[in-house]
Amino acid sequence: MGKRDQNNNDMLRGTLDMMVLRTLVLGDAHGHTIAKVIERSSDDLLEVEEGSLYPALHRLEDRGWVTSYWGVSEANRKARFYRLAPAGKKQLRSEVGRWRQMAKAIDLVMGDLLKEGGEI
Amino acid sequence: MSWRGLVRRRYWDNERVEEMEAHIAHEIEDNRDRGMNEEEARRRAYVKFGNPQKVRERIWQMNSLGWLETVLRDVRHSARSLRHNPAYALLAIATLGLGIGANTAIFTVINGVLLRPLPYAEQDRVVHIDQLEKRTGSEPLGLSVQEFFDYRGQSRSFEQFSEYHSMLFTLLGTKNPERVVTGVVSANFFDVLGVKPALGRLFVASDESKDAPPVLVLSYAYWMKEFGGDRNVIGRVFQMNDRAHTVIGVLPPLPDYPDANEVYMPVSSCPFRSDPMMIANRDMRMVTGYARLKPGVSMQQASTELNAIRGRMIAAFPKSYAGWTGYSATLTPAKEELTHGARPTLLALLAASGLVLLLACANLANLALSRQIRRSKEVAIRMATGASAWRVVQQLTTEAAIVAVAGACVGLAITSVSTKLLVAYAARLTPLAQGVRLDGWVLLFGLGSSLVAGVLFAALPGLLAFRTRLTALQEAGERAAGSERGSRIRTLLVMAQVAFSFVLLAAAGLMLHTVYNLLSVDPGFKLSHVLSMQINLNWTRYKEEAALINFYQQLLSRTDVLPGVQAASISWKPPLDPSGQGMTGHVLVDGQVASPTTPGVTVNYEVTSPDYFRVLGVPVMAGRSFTDSDTLKSQGVVVVNETMARHFWPGQSPIGHRLRSVNSKNWLTVVGIVGDVRQFGLDRAPDNLAYVPLNQSLIQNATLMVSTRGNPLAMSSQIERIVHQIDPQQPVTQVRTLDQLRSQQLGTPRVTATLLTLFAAVALFITIVGISGTLALSVARRSKEIGIRMALGATRAHILSDVLRKGMGPVLAGMALGAAGALLATRGMAQLIFGLKPNDPPTFAEIGLLFFVAALVSCLVAARRAMTVDPLVTLRTE
Repeated sequence: MGKRDQNNNDMLRGTLDMMVLRTLVLGDAHGHTIAKVIERSSDDLLEVEEGSLYPALHRLEDRGWVTSYWGVSEANRKARFYRLAPAGKKQLRSEVGRWRQMAKAIDLVMGDLLKEGGEI
Repeated sequence: MSWRGLVRRRYWDNERVEEMEAHIAHEIEDNRDRGMNEEEARRRAYVKFGNPQKVRERIWQMNSLGWLETVLRDVRHSARSLRHNPAYALLAIATLGLGIGANTAIFTVINGVLLRPLPYAEQDRVVHIDQLEKRTGSEPLGLSVQEFFDYRGQSRSFEQFSEYHSMLFTLLGTKNPERVVTGVVSANFFDVLGVKPALGRLFVASDESKDAPPVLVLSYAYWMKEFGGDRNVIGRVFQMNDRAHTVIGVLPPLPDYPDANEVYMPVSSCPFRSDPMMIANRDMRMVTGYARLKPGVSMQQASTELNAIRGRMIAAFPKSYAGWTGYSATLTPAKEELTHGARPTLLALLAASGLVLLLACANLANLALSRQIRRSKEVAIRMATGASAWRVVQQLTTEAAIVAVAGACVGLAITSVSTKLLVAYAARLTPLAQGVRLDGWVLLFGLGSSLVAGVLFAALPGLLAFRTRLTALQEAGERAAGSERGSRIRTLLVMAQVAFSFVLLAAAGLMLHTVYNLLSVDPGFKLSHVLSMQINLNWTRYKEEAALINFYQQLLSRTDVLPGVQAASISWKPPLDPSGQGMTGHVLVDGQVASPTTPGVTVNYEVTSPDYFRVLGVPVMAGRSFTDSDTLKSQGVVVVNETMARHFWPGQSPIGHRLRSVNSKNWLTVVGIVGDVRQFGLDRAPDNLAYVPLNQSLIQNATLMVSTRGNPLAMSSQIERIVHQIDPQQPVTQVRTLDQLRSQQLGTPRVTATLLTLFAAVALFITIVGISGTLALSVARRSKEIGIRMALGATRAHILSDVLRKGMGPVLAGMALGAAGALLATRGMAQLIFGLKPNDPPTFAEIGLLFFVAALVSCLVAARRAMTVDPLVTLRTE
């Protein structure tokens, strides 16, 4: 993987991480649920690619932001559940802060254009 | 990208696969709930998930360390490439292993003896204090108790100042009555050394007071040997010198310094030292001083102060020091006393092993260079197809590191095998030998030096060869690959190897000559068939002269009549005693005294019974030996050796002349002259030696020597039985033959010679391999040229002389360099060799010849190949 590629991904990866952590605030969940919750709560605008979700979960766990355990799902199947770790909560807080700043900045730059019905 | 992940990545792979399968199962279920049929539900789920294999790969990569993967790949590749070239690999590893082995082995000894701190607190502050009178001799005088009091009372440089002497006493109460080496010390002696007890307590000031109950401290070694480390030994009571002594403590393991004392007692317990006469007499010197410098006080300051005190003593007691113009107080660090015996030998060996390593490096560089020349095409292709220079360097370094680690393993194996031998060897040189062992530092040294040497000398020459990479692709042949530069470097390397090994060979040659010289020294006495045994009498039992005379008389007369015994004698020490010291004293010669204030001249004394010269086969040159009629009541007599006769009475017969000890009023008449003997060492020229008769100078510590017809050791038990018949409590120790004493003397130079010869042989071997290898490669590369020349009419003799010139050129230059280097280097060996000078011409000539022949033979082997070149074949391939 080239250096530039990685930089580009960092942006997306960051938001996915944030959304996964957000999902886990609601309670422990396994990968399938996490994906479903993100998709539903975004009115199906966002589609979580499983190809990115599992590497992301692995990364979060490696960094100690989440912990995991095998459990039984609502469908009575074996599944790996993730739980938000204290470090993950802290991370989520700082991610949200960063995102809020970024949104504000973009908002200021774009001005009226962002408003519904704004014209160019 | 974490170590944790790396170690468990197979586990995580399995976990994630299982997890993803669960995910897909959930998805299928959901799809089914939406009303899809089984097949459709499954298909959709898989389509949605995408390729699980890809996810696995991504996670797998997240769990790996990029650089480590590369290193592992390099290691695998290098190992494969070394396996394909086993000759290079083996030679390089063996060369490096031998070099590292030699160095690490010597480093092990140096680490244990010279580098490791002594087990004393702040070792640099512990000093030994003694006195010297240079005009009369170079042996330290010792201190009298009065002098010790003066130095201790008036000096301000020391935190602690203790007196010390060592004696033999009989200790009763263990299984057998035993003679124990006893250190007699001030109560603060162990504070001077800065050691804490392993068990119980050490001496305190009250133990030293006149009527304190006698106490003992045991050395660790004696505690283990005699009491098996029994902790209940504290409080046990033993009889010594007719008094009850209580054990109060045990020392930790310490080097045998100042002496190999088995027990320690305070000065108040020593019957000799506490004698009021001994305390009062300023001229009776039986003790010596040990002290701990105050922090911040230099040796120089302390020495100045001691000598100022000495000056005041001379002023206060002019009679005691009359004429002592060469009188001084001396101060020696304990560390120096413990190591000075070993230092020159160890440094010589370190230098030698360092040369072996340098040589190994040169050879390694040479090997790597020729290998790289052969491989330059491969490297050129790799670089042409996109490998970065850095990758190629990494690859080369990895290969060198593999060789280095393998070399370190070989070297450390050599070291660990030889460690036991080295401890025994070092024990002859220093009491610190017990500290010699393989430890972390040694391992670090071995591995570190191997890596530095290996990577530097195996990888660098390879890099050099890169410069030819473009030409290597253009032309497909040896000619292009072998740049002039490469072959010039190789010639220089060969030259360096020859020079290094010449120095080593010269050093080994000198040492071998030394051993030979020592072996052929005529000691002046008979070595074979003489048994010597130590009989140290308990002085409390043999206080009376009559008892002593009776004991010796019975012992000699009963031993004399044993079948197989030729003669028996009593003396103080056997010749070549490992202590290397005799009894010395200052004498005055009648009629030669310029003024009554002239101090006497130092001579060595030996106390002997009448048959002593017969036992040793020492010829009586003039006059007579002692007889049984030389007794306490008859006139005092003395026999002198030839050296002493020449020294005091040059050009005249000494018989009838008189001399006396400065401490005595009794004149002794010279009654005989005997031949010179090497009494104190094969390498020590005969000293002035005066023999006095046993019956006029009775001693309690004696040596029985017996000259036998058959094997002397076979007689030892019979003789011991005689001793026990006379006195069942009398121990007999140090049973050995004079031959054994001589071998012991030869031990150190022998082992030094063996080690140096071993190093030199390794060096010669490596060098010869280097010479012939280099020449062989150059012949191979020039085979076309040789073929063409032969086709144009050059004879075989031409080719031969050409190749030989090419091969022997660097050898001769290296020999000249080596000879010059050896002249400088062997000067450092002056203390180690005997009977020849460091620049001994025959040795250098022999080594030169040996080297020349060996190099010529190895060149001839390569030259033969050159002569078998078929011009037709070479021309056709061109």
